[in-house]
Amino acid sequence: MDRAIDISVRGLAVSFGQPRNVLSGVELAVLRGEFVALIGASGCGKTTLLNVIAGLVPAASGTVTVAGSAPAAGRRDICYVLARDALLPWRTVMGNVQYGLELSGVGRAERERRAALYVEKVGLRAARELYPSRLSQGMRQRASLARAFAVGRNLYLMDEPFSALDSQTKLVLHDQLLGLWETSGATVVFVTHDIGEAITLADRVLVMSKKGTGVVDEIRVDLERPRSAEALQADAHYHNLYRRTWTSLRASAQ
Amino acid sequence: MSDIASSEAKLGAATRSAGRRPASILVARTLFLAAFLALWQGAVAAGWVNGAFVSTPAGVAQSLWRLFKNGEIFPDLGTTVLEIAIAFAASVVLGIASAVVLDRNDWLNRTLSPFLTAFNSMPRIALGPLFILWFGIGIASKVVLAFSLGYFIMLLSTLGGLKNVDRDLLLMSRLFGASELRLFWHVRFPWALPGIFAGLKLTLIYCSAGAVIGEMIAAKSGLGVLLQSFSGRFDVAGVLALILVVALLVMALTAIMELTERHLLEWSRGSTDVPG
Repeated sequence: MDRAIDISVRGLAVSFGQPRNVLSGVELAVLRGEFVALIGASGCGKTTLLNVIAGLVPAASGTVTVAGSAPAAGRRDICYVLARDALLPWRTVMGNVQYGLELSGVGRAERERRAALYVEKVGLRAARELYPSRLSQGMRQRASLARAFAVGRNLYLMDEPFSALDSQTKLVLHDQLLGLWETSGATVVFVTHDIGEAITLADRVLVMSKKGTGVVDEIRVDLERPRSAEALQADAHYHNLYRRTWTSLRASAQ
Repeated sequence: MSDIASSEAKLGAATRSAGRRPASILVARTLFLAAFLALWQGAVAAGWVNGAFVSTPAGVAQSLWRLFKNGEIFPDLGTTVLEIAIAFAASVVLGIASAVVLDRNDWLNRTLSPFLTAFNSMPRIALGPLFILWFGIGIASKVVLAFSLGYFIMLLSTLGGLKNVDRDLLLMSRLFGASELRLFWHVRFPWALPGIFAGLKLTLIYCSAGAVIGEMIAAKSGLGVLLQSFSGRFDVAGVLALILVVALLVMALTAIMELTERHLLEWSRGSTDVPG
């Protein structure tokens, strides 16, 4: 486990221009190729921390580096996946997956090849020519994942992308995300309030304090990979980790 | 997995045919038109209404035939079509361009908006005589009158379409590295397209009304001039025939626009959760 540090956050404070800090004294280190889940009660600043790393929110003080340089929105090595699928309603599934590649400056032929491959990977082959208005919520998120991973970036920042899905659909999406991530070698920071989701996906679950002081606990998820979200439901160790995280999360909200 | 996808996909495809027009509608339309014409003709024949005031369908048809048979209508029709075409094109191009500028520049938008509202609230038809005084008796004054109606419709409907663009779509595109130009072309413009099409159809109607009414005030040629002379001779059938010509012209052009719209806005057909 001797890997380079991809994201480093030291003494971060965020104020949104207000006298009181939303976040203060936040420390975080994420290794290259690591899958980290940020979990915490609502209002703990987990999305804010993610947005700082994405370059969407400025730091009031402290240093943040991503792959050795300062965060900036629109960086060509970072991909941000929003909570809502944000598919263009006037483009088909294929068109939407190609959109990310188009904005990344990939040529037409390569774009079509890569989009077809990733649409296939998320199991939307039969729906490739459909418009988003004809897709279920789960299919839309799959298209959104295909768009994100087709561009092949080094760092994926995900802000509760599955929060609108029912628990059954979530499990399917978890497996698909894991499949996409395992072949990509990318670093992932995944914000969620769903303990099961965090454990299923991540190498490390970081619990954030409700007081806005950042990470207060860390749970190492030593479940073997490749994982199957459905099989984990019956795994005793998974449930141990779940209990351990739940206790920690409850303590963090005090 | 792909099983779920394909069954879901079929489910989506099944709702697709909902937009087709059944034959019964066409039949009902024909019957409605026939009943209307029969009632009209019958009412005059039975003496319920005076044929000298309302004419008859047969009379209107005869007038139409006369207008086109010896080509009497064509010079005037040409003038009117030219005026509508210039005013419509100018309204569309300048209306959309102004809307884009105002959408991108909030300061300018807020400064100008009361003036735009004031201009748009004026009864432009009442300005017709002034336009003729300023721009002469030729086609320029009619184009200006028609443009003064069409421009604001195009501006306001485009501006309305450009407002409230889904912020997530903009954010997602920016995070993928989109430039302002690409944001406009890939997000803002398609988002505004339904509003723009609604504006196009209204603009055409108002431009043709503006052109014909302008000609009725004072002109050397145009359908409005013909209308005035038929009115002066109490030729009701002739007046109705000319109005029918304008209506059919506008309907034909609208049908072309609707065809284009259906093609471009295919994504929004039959769905319930689409913006707009």
